[in-house]
Amino acid sequence: MITVKENPNTADEIIKLMNPLVKKWFFSRFNEFSLPQKFGIMDVHSRNNVLISAPTGATKTLTAFLSVLNELVDSAEKGILQDKVYCVYISPLKALNYDIEVNLKQPLKEIEEIAGKKLGIRVAVRTGDTTASEKSKMLKKPPHILITTPESLAIVLSAVKFRELLTNADWCIIDEIHALAENKRGVHLSLSLERLQRLSEHICRVGLSATISPLEEVAKFLVGYDNEKLRPCKIINVQFIKKMDLKVLSPVPDLINTTQDEMHYQMYSLIDKLIQDHKTTLIFTNTRAATERVVDHLKEKFPKNYAENIGAHHGSLSKTHRHKIEKKLRDGELKVVVSSTSLELGIDIGYIDLVILLGSPKSVARALQRCGRSGHKLHDISKGRIIVLDRDDLVECAVLLKSAIEEKIDRIHIPENCLDVLVQHMYGIAISEKIHINEMFSLIKKSYCYHNLERIDFNELVDYLAGKYISLEDRHIYAKIWHDEETGMIGRRGKLARVMYMTNIGTIPDETFIIVKVGDQTIGKIDEAFLEKMHRGDVFVLGGSTYEFLYSKGTVAYVRASSNRPPTIPSWVSESLPLSFDLAVEIGKFRRYMEERFLKKESKQNIIKFINEYLYVDDYAANSIFSYFQQQYYYAEIPSVKKIVIENYSDETRKYYIFHSLYGRRVNDVLSRAVAFAISRSQHHDVEIGISDNGFFIASEKGLNAVKGLRILKSEKIDLVMKMAIEKTEVLKRRFRHCATRALMILRNYQGKRMRVGRQQVSSMILISAVKRISNDFSILKEARREVLNDLMDIEKAKMVLKDIEDKKIKIKQIVTRIPSPFALNLVMQGRMDVMRMEDKMEFLRRMHQMILAKIGQNHKLE
Amino acid sequence: MKGYEIIDLGILVEKNTIIFSDFHIGYEEALNKKGILLPKFQFKEIITRLNKIFTELKKRKIKIEKIVINGDLKHEFGKISEQEWRETLRLLDFLLKHCKEIIFVKGNHDTVLGPIAEKRKVNIVDYFMINDILIIHGHKIPEKKIIEKCRTIIIGHEHPAVSLRDDARSEKFKCFLKGKFKNKKLIVMPSFCLAAEGTDVLSENLLSPFLKQDISNFDVAIVADKVYNFGKIKNLY
Repeated sequence: MITVKENPNTADEIIKLMNPLVKKWFFSRFNEFSLPQKFGIMDVHSRNNVLISAPTGATKTLTAFLSVLNELVDSAEKGILQDKVYCVYISPLKALNYDIEVNLKQPLKEIEEIAGKKLGIRVAVRTGDTTASEKSKMLKKPPHILITTPESLAIVLSAVKFRELLTNADWCIIDEIHALAENKRGVHLSLSLERLQRLSEHICRVGLSATISPLEEVAKFLVGYDNEKLRPCKIINVQFIKKMDLKVLSPVPDLINTTQDEMHYQMYSLIDKLIQDHKTTLIFTNTRAATERVVDHLKEKFPKNYAENIGAHHGSLSKTHRHKIEKKLRDGELKVVVSSTSLELGIDIGYIDLVILLGSPKSVARALQRCGRSGHKLHDISKGRIIVLDRDDLVECAVLLKSAIEEKIDRIHIPENCLDVLVQHMYGIAISEKIHINEMFSLIKKSYCYHNLERIDFNELVDYLAGKYISLEDRHIYAKIWHDEETGMIGRRGKLARVMYMTNIGTIPDETFIIVKVGDQTIGKIDEAFLEKMHRGDVFVLGGSTYEFLYSKGTVAYVRASSNRPPTIPSWVSESLPLSFDLAVEIGKFRRYMEERFLKKESKQNIIKFINEYLYVDDYAANSIFSYFQQQYYYAEIPSVKKIVIENYSDETRKYYIFHSLYGRRVNDVLSRAVAFAISRSQHHDVEIGISDNGFFIASEKGLNAVKGLRILKSEKIDLVMKMAIEKTEVLKRRFRHCATRALMILRNYQGKRMRVGRQQVSSMILISAVKRISNDFSILKEARREVLNDLMDIEKAKMVLKDIEDKKIKIKQIVTRIPSPFALNLVMQGRMDVMRMEDKMEFLRRMHQMILAKIGQNHKLE
Repeated sequence: MKGYEIIDLGILVEKNTIIFSDFHIGYEEALNKKGILLPKFQFKEIITRLNKIFTELKKRKIKIEKIVINGDLKHEFGKISEQEWRETLRLLDFLLKHCKEIIFVKGNHDTVLGPIAEKRKVNIVDYFMINDILIIHGHKIPEKKIIEKCRTIIIGHEHPAVSLRDDARSEKFKCFLKGKFKNKKLIVMPSFCLAAEGTDVLSENLLSPFLKQDISNFDVAIVADKVYNFGKIKNLY
């Protein structure tokens, strides 16, 4: 049963449990218990599973650890401290692990000082960086608190000797669970937790999370099932105890009639002013490239203000660089730091009094998480300023601000039944013990992420791991486990199994950046998917300059500077964040309220008053929003959550069908491809699609019946349609590579060598066609499709939208415009381009051949 | 037809000799050793494709005397792996059913072909001449006097392929290239390795010393269900 804990315990109740030493230490450092502590300490002490959701700086970690320290100190004093791991602490970041180690060793030292003697309580970190000698030291003298990452936990669970230390652990603390629950790292962890609980049957699970929703699902993810029954868990929700001061700012009063240069100038002036008015500012951008750009521009425009006191911090930078920046922040040497996502999590970065978000953070939870990085202490106010760059951004951020203030958090998606991650664990289980197939299955089903796993999918993975898809004579190369069908037993195969497991597990795919060079000089990096689209002679933009592509070799693209030709391929941002569905729906609702007011011919004054009250924005912003909607209303039609407008317009070469479907990019990815598939299937020609958060477009040289394309899609057929629609896409190929690597079909580390990403890439292309020859529903291929449709895209929500169209809850309206309507402008300009492949490869070849013959003339012969 | 004709992935010379190139037998096993657990499929597909070619030749009443393998019959450098040994012998036996004689032109991957060749009594040569046509693998340029004797050079090694693009769609096809090398005609054969299309001559750096030159005036012929002439490379950029 999942329950919400409504009332905190009293300080007296907690004090009664405390060992005198710990009590003395605590009150020498703090005056009183914080609210999260009043809620949490008793339950952690009683070994009840709890999920504590609170903002950064709300003393979550100490809440979780105080009972643990209390128990350890008490046992040490009584001389009954055993040589075993009492508590396993897991966080997604190595940096955070080292922070925690310091934050535990310090109080232990202080408690020992109070006690006037050594207590012998050991704390140790085990990550991928831990040396062999440190590891063997841990085996001799096990840490009472083991601090680790999800990946290292999976490794120690398969290590013979270490497993023994993990029997009868009392607690397992999972920190930053919000950063894990919505991706495959979390799925991976959910199985590790079950494997840990198999060793420590009565372990208590403590989850620590920043603001997240829905808490009940995250709690289920934390605790899992005991056979068919959910394990109990108490939810402690103190998400909104920290005071927030959030505002949306526009750099200029008028977001349309301002030139790009002016906008740019005003934006940096505003940023500079904000930074100068505060002590230390943290700026978040949505991409890594933008992070660098902001640092450069600030230095260039305000050389007196920014030199050594500004820094960038993002995932592409080296570890040393990031550590340097973190240290400078803690030492108060930086005035401003610019980051993408890497500083979202709770690593200690010292005192920040302002957070600036450049552009929409795309989800309420992320906005709160980022802004919560300021005012680190519980009683500080978090101060966040969102700077908007255009009118869509303004509307989006204004609605986001409303949701944040009204405490409406968008819901996350927890992936389920990921077959590739499961392969790793089945292999890991087989390495650590001989186990009956049914027992393995029921162990896996205890995880929230696999509770609905089909037996047939599981059986196929057993066959896959046992190499049954390969003829007997070659099976020895592929088989990782043995499975005796008569006895039902499963075990590891091969002497190198353990090494292969330990060096290849994990869920984060290797990044595949292509290095761009002019001669020997490195210019920058581009995404591999971008390279796939380039031909010799193509001109593209990188870091503000244009380059002509010459050729590529492995993961290096050779280019030359090209100053006078315009780009021939649009650069698009593949790493940009998608708008959450819930926030998209809120914007759709606002659009509806606005349209109703225009339809009722309400006065400008009234409508602006409504905007002011509904969205908590200032007059400038309200005016901008008003004129944006007014133009859309008079020129075209206002789309909303209950009305999809299909706008048809043409330029010299193409006809565009713009679908104003504001449901976020993950849903639009599905809708656009399904519509394009439906349309192009009848016309038998590739059509272009562009996808954004606010809608999508389909473009073609020929006229199409776009409305029909949407109408013939049926919600119950969408799974089948999408399976076909993504079959030949680049994204499926790329995700297949990731899945094949997770499922250990591509071994990144093999026989002491690490495989380059380029090599993985090439190999995966060959692998996918080989796998299709075995079965079009080969488990790994099936998982790649699931990942694309359910994790990257959102086929379930798309189904809901289609169902609403079928039930006439969402109307469809078609309009024709001469130039794109105001709402369509960004959509056409920023839409991520893709092509729906309908022709098969041979048809494509023949059409291209006809084109080239027309170009060179029929006479030209090859002899 | 002037002495040679493209037949699928092969070249027919003098109505009785067919040339194939770059089979790369053992490709999967080589990948396995690098940690890519690619299931085996190539051999079966090579045999299927060869069968189609021989059926076609039979229909046209062409009797093959000689088969020339223009290098890189097998994939692995150095030692001969188990899969290569097995499959190479099976391939040779298959080919011997369709001709009287097999000639191996040595490629850069064929450093230890000796034992296999001996087992099936196959001649290994560094290059092979039919009339004025020089057949050579192409990883290095032979002595001047050898080139002087010929008018046409046929090489493999490069695995040429071309990616065609229409807007954002791009597809890669195996192709023949035809151009010049020092006033001689130069033909570059596609590989018979069916696991991969090959090197995109439009965007990738080329390997063969024969092709360290401006190839934009080379002709491209794509091999698919039939041969498609695509004119000069420069038209495709």
